[in-house]
Amino acid sequence: MKVLLQLRWFFKQQKKQYIIGVGALVLVSILQLFPPKIIGLIVDAITEGTLTSSELIKWLVILALAGIFMYIARYYWRVMIFGSSVLLSRTMRERLFNHFTRMSPSFYQKRRVGDLMAHATNDINAVQQTAGMGVLTLVDSLATGGFVILTMALTINWKLTLITLIPLPFMIFLTSYYGRLLRERFRFAQEAFSDLNDKTQESITGIEVIKTFGQQKEDIEDFTNLSSDVVDKNMRVARVDALFDPTITGIFAVSYILSFFFGTKFIIAGEMSIGDMIAFSTYLGLLVWPMLAIGFLFNIVERGNASYTRISELLAIEPNIKDMPGAISERPKGDLLVDIESFTFPGDETAALKDVHFTVKKGETLGIVGRTGAGKTAILKLLLRQFEGYKGKIVYGEHLINHYKQQSLRAAIGYVPQDHFLFSTTIAENIAFTDPNISKEKVYEAAKLSQIHEDILGLTKGYDTVVGERGVSLSGGQQQRVSIARALIMKPELLILDDSLSAVDARTEEAILKALKEARTDETTIITSHRLSAIQHAHQIIVMDEGTIAEAGTHEELLRMDGKYKEMYDLQQLEVLVERGGGSE
Amino acid sequence: MNEKQPKLTAKDQWFVLKRLLRYTIPHKGSITVALILLTMTITGTILGPLIIQRFIDDYITPMNFPKSDIIWIAAIYIGLQVFIVIVSYFQLIRFQDIALKIIQQMRIDVFSKVQGLGMTYFDQTPAGSIVSRVTNDTESIKEMFVSVIVTFLQAVFVLVGVYIALFSLDVKLTLISLVLLPLFVGVISIYRYYSADFYQDIRERLSQLNAKIAESLSGMGIIQVFRQEARLEDEFDDINEMHYRAGMRNIKFDGLLLSPAIDLLYMGAVVFTLGYFGFASFNSPVEVGVLFAFTTLLSRLFQPIQQVMQRLSIFQQALVSASRVFTLMDDPKMEPTQEEKDIQVQDGKIEFRDVTFSYDGKTDVLKNISFTANAGETVALVGHTGSGKSSIINLLMRFYEYERGNILIDGVSLKAYPKAELREKMGLVLQDPFMFYGDITSNIRLHNDGLTEEEVREAAEFVSANEFIEKLPHQYTQRVTERGATFSSGQRQLIAFARTIVTNPKILVLDEATANIDTETEVAIQASLEKMRKGRTTIAIAHRLSTIQDAELILVLHKGEIVERGTHQELLMQKGLYHMMYELQNSSAENAG
Repeated sequence: MKVLLQLRWFFKQQKKQYIIGVGALVLVSILQLFPPKIIGLIVDAITEGTLTSSELIKWLVILALAGIFMYIARYYWRVMIFGSSVLLSRTMRERLFNHFTRMSPSFYQKRRVGDLMAHATNDINAVQQTAGMGVLTLVDSLATGGFVILTMALTINWKLTLITLIPLPFMIFLTSYYGRLLRERFRFAQEAFSDLNDKTQESITGIEVIKTFGQQKEDIEDFTNLSSDVVDKNMRVARVDALFDPTITGIFAVSYILSFFFGTKFIIAGEMSIGDMIAFSTYLGLLVWPMLAIGFLFNIVERGNASYTRISELLAIEPNIKDMPGAISERPKGDLLVDIESFTFPGDETAALKDVHFTVKKGETLGIVGRTGAGKTAILKLLLRQFEGYKGKIVYGEHLINHYKQQSLRAAIGYVPQDHFLFSTTIAENIAFTDPNISKEKVYEAAKLSQIHEDILGLTKGYDTVVGERGVSLSGGQQQRVSIARALIMKPELLILDDSLSAVDARTEEAILKALKEARTDETTIITSHRLSAIQHAHQIIVMDEGTIAEAGTHEELLRMDGKYKEMYDLQQLEVLVERGGGSE
Repeated sequence: MNEKQPKLTAKDQWFVLKRLLRYTIPHKGSITVALILLTMTITGTILGPLIIQRFIDDYITPMNFPKSDIIWIAAIYIGLQVFIVIVSYFQLIRFQDIALKIIQQMRIDVFSKVQGLGMTYFDQTPAGSIVSRVTNDTESIKEMFVSVIVTFLQAVFVLVGVYIALFSLDVKLTLISLVLLPLFVGVISIYRYYSADFYQDIRERLSQLNAKIAESLSGMGIIQVFRQEARLEDEFDDINEMHYRAGMRNIKFDGLLLSPAIDLLYMGAVVFTLGYFGFASFNSPVEVGVLFAFTTLLSRLFQPIQQVMQRLSIFQQALVSASRVFTLMDDPKMEPTQEEKDIQVQDGKIEFRDVTFSYDGKTDVLKNISFTANAGETVALVGHTGSGKSSIINLLMRFYEYERGNILIDGVSLKAYPKAELREKMGLVLQDPFMFYGDITSNIRLHNDGLTEEEVREAAEFVSANEFIEKLPHQYTQRVTERGATFSSGQRQLIAFARTIVTNPKILVLDEATANIDTETEVAIQASLEKMRKGRTTIAIAHRLSTIQDAELILVLHKGEIVERGTHQELLMQKGLYHMMYELQNSSAENAG
């Protein structure tokens, strides 16, 4: 029940709705008491021959009114209580989403998207159930159960009530026991299903191997075995699930038999009438749901508890990179000084960067080369303030980068990541990501700069093509160029291309670099690349190796050094030749 | 899964349903038993109130209680309840059993179909969506068989049973209460008409919502770098809001038409019944037991109707899923067929005769490829990505059908051989060997249970995989998880060698690994490659030219054509592309060293 207390804030916020909803529920449980009573009264009047037509009409009108009021009340408690629970899930989801947007990259490094999704779907669902079904079952089991029992005891016969209630605790006990058993077996069934799912996934990804070894038949056999396991585990669920109805029927049958046996005795003794007995047995029928509800309540609340705790824990995590008090809100501008003694990624043992020192003058281009894992991306991550905790300092313009507000620092940086992530919306919207209201001309301009304009016009829907939709697939190079346009459209003070020309062919690469050079005379650019052609015109090139700067200088200087850079250069020259298909060109 | 839901017309739905119901045919016997059990349960539940009615009218009202009669009635009533409890349990289980078996069969059918599809299908369809067809879609069809069809049958049976019982009590009132039938049909059809749209709407909103969360989580880095947190939050709020509204609309709609409406109808029926008996009592005496039975039986009538309505959405979803499953089952892109002539691969001589091939029917990826690999010889394919090397292997392995030119083994068309013969005599080692969940032995043996442990070990030793395997804590029973991520790519390659060699193929098709392989494993790989090729016709894609210097024939491919051919020495002398690649690799080898 802890979760109901923890949700106090929400119940308070929705006080009106819950009061109306619970009120309507209570009203329904009271109105429900009318029909059996009236049936009993009419039966008695008929057997005794005292029924008059005006009396009959009176009762029928009352009954009809009760029916109509019940309809209205039933409608309203649903809208109020279930409606509030939907609102709760919306509120929680919004909080969680907003929380996600504030979390630093290290948060995402530690967690899988799938797990975070599970919190945003399953856990929120369980909490919603608590605020909806949980409240319903709580109120219903107390109100309906209580009222019906009271009515039976007070208006008909308290002795008979006590006698017939004897079997019902067994039902509560049994159904909640089944519930627990069911949950456990259901988990096994789920596991069997997920095994089958994994098997299917594996067979489809490994289809070539299976075909090669001609083992389709055997693989289908394997699948058949697993699917039999699914059947078995589900049958285990079914065997418990099928107990519910017969148990309820059986236990209520015992109550009915008791009520008729002793009821008849009481009628003979003159303690009650036939009408009373009929009313009594109808009331008994009304007790089925409240008894079931008690069992449900425990299960719902238990799940809600666990889920609410998980969500709260997630929400309690603070972003580990925050603006310092009094952070500067102006956009940084000027020279960039990087002065890092060492930096280790959280959780890693070896340092990712050691003694990296360089300065990029405003308006200049810096090229960073080196093999995978040499530390190129680590430098960029620090520049973007995605990670902190390095020894040394990074100064942009007048101030250390961590003295700026994160938003102001990022406003100056246009970043093109290695993995060109595009959103599943139109190309135009992807390019205009930083400003959805920007003019079409600006979008075209950015697209032209990144040499993707013509490609986009070539698509049937042009700029309105939705990325990732069936049948439309942009090549890796095209995606990279869209992602470059996305960064260019904000006219960044500092443009960072993180190996973002890797999938672009040599000619296009050249065109992009040339366009950038012409358009960005006064702004700073940092390019990391495997391919030297992307950086050879840079004002300054640093060669990274094992987290530190191995060589630095201009293209010509580096060639003259005859070191690592020269080696890479020679190798790539040959590759270019092979790419062109021989020495003829 | 965020897939578009196909819109089904009434006619489509009908066809899909008919096809689904065809799956019940093999279970005719079992279904008959289940239906008999269902009839018994329902008859029992209807008889209960009738017995009470007789008890009230014949004994209580006249206040006459002969002992033997009472004992009889009590015995019958108790016996009946015990009977209902037992029979209904077995009836519920029986239906579950049938439904689960039907779905199992359907799953096996889809899976078998998938196994028979050609590689073209797999190229065009994301693996996730195929998996979804086999498991998730069939799961939602299961829901239909388990809950909808049984509920529906139950409703029909109850309807018939209750009306029969009512007829036996009071013909006139029963005839009047037949009015309820069109009312039921009316409410159900109105509900179905609107709920189909509402339900579809909320499903789509939910999948939009989840897609938005998933996408934002994956793209969070970009969102933050470009400072779009606030905008994305707004966008999310909008979707969240729309989802909320759809949810509210559903609650209101269900509140108006679902259980409250059915309860209201029931109240109407009760008022009517009471009025009928009440007014009748003014003219002639009425049996109050009949009145009791009537109101009780009527309440039994309304429960199943409500359940049917609640499950309509499951039904709708199941039809959509089923139509997707059937679309997959009807897909014509099957793997190439064999003529299955009674012939065997003798020497393993391979000949490509003027083969031209295109995946999409537009651009040719292979153009007039001709070459011969004599029995026991090695032909090496060289060229950069996209040159057509892999396509040659794809055709040789019959992953794709070719139309132009021909491929011959021992002078007979590849298409003529029985499939099993080809699979037995040809062994393929893929560039990035696929590892299955299991252990080392199961990965070498695969499904070939006829192989002994001894043979598995011999194969591992033959390719020198035993060296690293024996260093593992559990050796041959070492677990392989997550596609063998715990093994280096070189080790995976060696396991794949063993897997191939254990079947002792006549023809070897190799796609050499490009990934970085540590020197120790590299030596083992080279040595085993050499051993494996001995006595086998080998077609090898080589990325390291050093490994194929002794090949009888080297083909240099460029843009789907053979641009150079000859032995290593001949090609070096030509000073062409091969020469250049060789130079390049040598210098890079120096760098690496």
